[in-house]
Amino acid sequence: MATLTEATTTRRAAHRVRRRRIPVAPYLFVAPFVLVFAAFSAYPIFFALQLSFTNWHGAGALKIVGLANYRYLLTSPDFWQSMATSGVLWLLVVPAQVLLALTIAVALRKARFRGVFSAALIAPFVTPLVAMAQVWIILFDKDFGAVNHGLSALGLPAIGWLTTAAGAKVTVALLVLWRTTGYAVILLLAGLSTIPSDVYEAATIDGAGAWHQFWSITVPLVTRTLSFVVVIGTLTVFQLFAEPYVVTGGGPFNATRTAGLYLYKHITNSDLGLGAANSMLLVLMVLALSLASIRLLRSREDS
Amino acid sequence: MKPGRYGLLTLAGLISLAPLLWMAVSSLKPGADIISSPFSFDPSHLTLTNFRTMLDTIPIGTGFRNTAIVVLLKGALTMLFCPMAGFAFAKYTFPGKRVLFATVLTTLMLPTLVLLIPLLLEMSQLGWVSTFQALILPGAIDAFGVFWMRQVILAIPDELLDAARVDGAGELRIFTSIVLPVIRPGLAALGVLTFINIYNDFVWPVVAVNDEQHQTLQVMLSALAQNIRSGQLGADWTSVWGQLLAASTVAAIPVLIVFVVLQRHLIKGVMAGSLKG
Repeated sequence: MATLTEATTTRRAAHRVRRRRIPVAPYLFVAPFVLVFAAFSAYPIFFALQLSFTNWHGAGALKIVGLANYRYLLTSPDFWQSMATSGVLWLLVVPAQVLLALTIAVALRKARFRGVFSAALIAPFVTPLVAMAQVWIILFDKDFGAVNHGLSALGLPAIGWLTTAAGAKVTVALLVLWRTTGYAVILLLAGLSTIPSDVYEAATIDGAGAWHQFWSITVPLVTRTLSFVVVIGTLTVFQLFAEPYVVTGGGPFNATRTAGLYLYKHITNSDLGLGAANSMLLVLMVLALSLASIRLLRSREDS
Repeated sequence: MKPGRYGLLTLAGLISLAPLLWMAVSSLKPGADIISSPFSFDPSHLTLTNFRTMLDTIPIGTGFRNTAIVVLLKGALTMLFCPMAGFAFAKYTFPGKRVLFATVLTTLMLPTLVLLIPLLLEMSQLGWVSTFQALILPGAIDAFGVFWMRQVILAIPDELLDAARVDGAGELRIFTSIVLPVIRPGLAALGVLTFINIYNDFVWPVVAVNDEQHQTLQVMLSALAQNIRSGQLGADWTSVWGQLLAASTVAAIPVLIVFVVLQRHLIKGVMAGSLKG
């Protein structure tokens, strides 16, 4: 928003001439965006809000049930299990991702062949998720998967990656981590590139070691990008759908039924009013988590 | 310090690429080899059987055709609408601009899953379930694209546009013959990101389409995995794994080609997300 006001004031003089005419052109240029947004985002959101107060199942008139859907969800073990599953996946993915991505980005910053490494790191992010999910199913199979083959070659016991609750969560988390860490590296690399190198030179002259430089220069100066990485990671994990849908189908015993998959269950059950209420709770959750991560990291930046 | 750095980067790069390489190599092995010796590489055993049986059992051509239709049309609309809106936000003042731009910023934070149910209902009201319209129109605009195009267009000097106005160029003319050519690098990056997003899209297609004629490639692949999990494999299930890997490899090839050719643009696009966000 700051850039918006800035841009407006600096260009106010230039616009004064134009402003006397009725501005038709800008409306024509934003019209497609506005129309698509109104038809396929704004209208559906208000519709979802309305639906969330009904017990609609897909046919017939809307019957208002007040807060019943919300009350049902907030007292339902299934709902809380789905939230907890997403929470566990968040814990498995986001901290590891921040650590890994920051380490790799710092190593990459002054490395040669940066283009080659960046390309290799972001390749998982571009390959079709569904295709890689298939690969995961095969790699992590308990009896015949390559991962357990590798473990047994090391003399370790086979693990039920897809057949135990903990194993399935870890398997899904590994897929998410594998796919999105390269993306976070590239984001952080962009953030790191804005730090002038003379800051490091000055620190080196002052005798600061690599570790000290990392904590007192690099980390504080990329806090903004770090918070962006955390927000994106949070949005990704709480919207997680395709990975558990394809790899585990939410199982075993709902161990990987994320908030996104639980929401989908309402669609397949035709519990659309309930599903709409679930959507609204998910929005609140995601917004709260994003804002909390931003605040947490911002307060660190200020201190 | 130095060897540690390159060791770390090489390890990270290998971990990134290993599953992709494993997929491609294993898709060329007989099903029994994928299971008994997943790490072996014996050139004399390599075969195209998996690809042949996959072509017989999965209508993958239809999947590709449907994905191509959606990528081309939806991609074209996104690539047109984003710079248009970005131009209006960057270079004009008009009543309602602040509200509209705030809307763009809010949309960036909105989980797409929220729209799933109401959009599905809207599609059924319109009679659009299992149609290309349903796959193309709801995502024909991208808030990030609008936001980013605005940033790119802000950098164009006003003098350039005003000079064209003095010469009598209309606003549309200014957009098509000055703005669009100048922002070509940004547009290219948006194009790669858009292509990859639409090609890989899964959640909305799986909800919006119930018939095989309109199934995109990704939905088709996931249906295959569902069959495996639900155990409808029959006796020859090792060959199903081979087919699955063959189909996954084929599905990954177009996007990997685009990526290898245009990765510089893609990385620029991703970086723009962090610097401008």
